[in-house]
Amino acid sequence: MLEIRNLHAGVEGAKILHGIDLAVNAGETHAIMGPNGSGKSTLAQVLAGHEAYCVTAGEVFYRGEDLLDMAPDERAAQGFFLAFQYPVEIPGVNSAYFLRTALNAIRKAREEDEIDAFDFLSLIRDKLKLVEMDEKFLNRPVNEGFSGGEKKRHEILQMAVLEPRLAILDETDSGLDIDALRVVAHGVNTLHGPDKATIVVTHYQRLLNDIVPDVVHVMLDGRIVQSGDKTLALELEEKGYDWIKEKRG
Amino acid sequence: MAYNHPSWIRKFETACNGQPLRALRETAMVDFDRLGYPTTADEAWKSVNLSALIKPDFQPAAPVPLSDAELAPFLYPDLRAIRIVFVNGHYAPTPISEAALTIANLADVYDHALVKARLGTLARTANLPFTALNTAFMRDGVFIRVPPNVAVETPVHLLFLTTASEVPTISHPRVLIIAEENSQLALVETHAGIDTGVYFSNAVTEIIARDNASVDHIRLGLQSKEALHIANFQAELGRNSRLTLHDFTLGGAFVRHDISAYLRGEGGEATVNGCYVLNGSQHVDNYTLLEHAEPHCPSHELYKGILGGSARAIFRGKIHVHQKAQHTDAYQQNENILLSDNARVNAKPQLEIYADEVKCSHGATIGQLDENALFYLQARGIAKAEARRLLLRAFAEEVVGRVPLAPVRSHLSDLIDARLAHIHAEDMA
Repeated sequence: MLEIRNLHAGVEGAKILHGIDLAVNAGETHAIMGPNGSGKSTLAQVLAGHEAYCVTAGEVFYRGEDLLDMAPDERAAQGFFLAFQYPVEIPGVNSAYFLRTALNAIRKAREEDEIDAFDFLSLIRDKLKLVEMDEKFLNRPVNEGFSGGEKKRHEILQMAVLEPRLAILDETDSGLDIDALRVVAHGVNTLHGPDKATIVVTHYQRLLNDIVPDVVHVMLDGRIVQSGDKTLALELEEKGYDWIKEKRG
Repeated sequence: MAYNHPSWIRKFETACNGQPLRALRETAMVDFDRLGYPTTADEAWKSVNLSALIKPDFQPAAPVPLSDAELAPFLYPDLRAIRIVFVNGHYAPTPISEAALTIANLADVYDHALVKARLGTLARTANLPFTALNTAFMRDGVFIRVPPNVAVETPVHLLFLTTASEVPTISHPRVLIIAEENSQLALVETHAGIDTGVYFSNAVTEIIARDNASVDHIRLGLQSKEALHIANFQAELGRNSRLTLHDFTLGGAFVRHDISAYLRGEGGEATVNGCYVLNGSQHVDNYTLLEHAEPHCPSHELYKGILGGSARAIFRGKIHVHQKAQHTDAYQQNENILLSDNARVNAKPQLEIYADEVKCSHGATIGQLDENALFYLQARGIAKAEARRLLLRAFAEEVVGRVPLAPVRSHLSDLIDARLAHIHAEDMA
C-alpha cells in the first residue's frame, strides 16, 4: 500500500529525515516509535503534504502512484489520512459543515454522489457513537475550545467519516487519559480491515497494548534504525531509547 | 466678500435659490467655504490624496427611470419591505402604504416641525466639509418617523442608486429617522452603482432613537469600481434605547465612513459592526466614534476586513467615555486578513476615558490566512481554493451572522461569497 524509498526531507533549511525506507502492506498495522526530535512527526507531515516541509531526495509510492506528486487534498481523496498531533482550531466553521464538506469533496473526487444534509446526519450519528462523542459537537466550530482529548476523538471521528485506506495517527495518544485512550484505540481497531493499513506514531508503548502492531520501527535522528515485531515495543519500554543508541554505538 | 471656493458658491446660488431651510444651508455653505476639501495635512484625512479623486466638474446627475429588471439585483429575495428608491439622488416615486409610520421624500417635508427641529442637529457642519456640502445641497432624501409605542413589523429598505453618466456626477443622499419612545424599526440602506463610471455619492444619515426605542440598521455599499462614497452616519440614543448598525462595504474606489453613536441616556446600548471585502486599488476608511455620555451603557463594536490586490483600509475606532458615564461597558475589535503582499491596513483604536468605573477593551489584528488551518482542510480532501474560501467566509460570517434580518443575512452571505470568488479569480490571474 505504501512504499517509502530513501526519503530525505527537512524544514526551513534544516535536514530532518536522512533516508527513510518503509513498506506497509494492506491489512498491516505498523508502529513508529522514537524519542522527541527523531523525525516521526516530520515524516507524518511530509506524507500528508505540508508545504513547509521540503523533500530533498527519495520517493514515496502509495498504491503504486507517486504520493509526493499529489496535492494534500488529492492524497485525502485517494484514501490517505493523517490524524494530526495538534488538530487545528478553525473558528467560524462548524464541525458538521466541515465534516460534510470534507466527505463530499472526497466523494466527488471518487465520482460518487454528494451526500445531503439529511443523510449525513444519520451517518454522523453512527460515527459519533463509535468515538463516544455528543451530537452537540457538530454545532461547535472545528476544534475551537475542545479539550485535548476531545480534539483527538474528533480526529478519529473524521477518520470514521472519511473511511481512509491508509491512516497515520501522529501521537494520537499524547495527552489522553485512560478512558479516552481506550475510546480512540477502539475506534481505530474498528476502522481497520484487510484492505486497510494503519501507521501509529507514538512515544510510548501504552497505546500499543490496545492497537497491536504487526511491525514496530524505531526512529532515531531521521532514520529507521531498527524494526521488529511487537516485542520490540516492550523491550523499548523497559530499556529506553538509550539502549538502541548504545547498541548502535 | 471674497470666497475660498467661489465655484461652489456660484453652484449654491443657482441650485439652492428658493430652497427651504435657507439658513441651515447658508451656514453649511459658509462652513464648507471655510473648511474646503480636507488635505493630507488634516489628521483625519492624511491617508488619502483627495485632490486626485475629487473632480471639480462634478455635475448634479439627472433622474433616470429604472425598470424592475434594473432594480432587481439590489433587492433582497424573500424580504418583504417598505421600499423607497432614489436614482442619481432623485426620488423615484413608489407607492407606499404603511399606516404604522410616517415615511416621505425629505424634499416634501422640509416644513415638517420635526424636520425643521432636528435635521442637522446630529450631523453638524462646522468641522465636516462633506457634511456641509450635503447640507447645503440636499434635496431629495428620506424622512421616517415611527410614532411612540409602535413596532413597525415590515422593514424599510432605502435604495440609493447611481447610473453611469458621461460626466462625473455628484449626489447628496440625506436621511433623517426618528424612532419615538418605545418604538421599533428595522431598516436597510443600500448605496449602489448600476454601471461603471465616476461619481461621488455624499451621504448623510441621522438617526434619533428616543427612550426605549429599538432600531436595527443595515448598511450596504455596492458602489461601482470608480465611485467615491463619503458617508456620515450619526445616531443618538435615549435612555434604555438600543441601536444596531451593520455596515458592509463591498464596492467603490474610495469609501469613507464616519460613524458615530451618541449614548445620551442611561442604559442605552449601541452595537456597531462592519465588514469590508476589498481588492484592486480600493481604499476604504472607517472612522467610528462611540460617545458614552451617561452611565450603564454597553457598546459593542466588531469590524472585520478582507483585502486583496493593493487595497487599503483604515479603521479608527474611538471610544469616548465621559466623566459621568460610570459603569460603561465598551468593547471594540478590528480584525483583518491580507490576501496579498500589497494590501495594507492601518488599525487605530483610541480610548478616551474620564470615568473611573468602566470596562473598556479593544484589540486589532492584521494577518494572513492561517496556513495551518488551510493545510488541515486540504488534508481532509478540500481543495485549496475551496479551503481558502471556506476560511474567508467563516471570517466574514462572524459579522454577517449578527445581522438581525434573516433574508438580508443570507443575501449578504451570498454577495460576500461572490466577491471572494472574484478576488480569488483575480489573485490567480
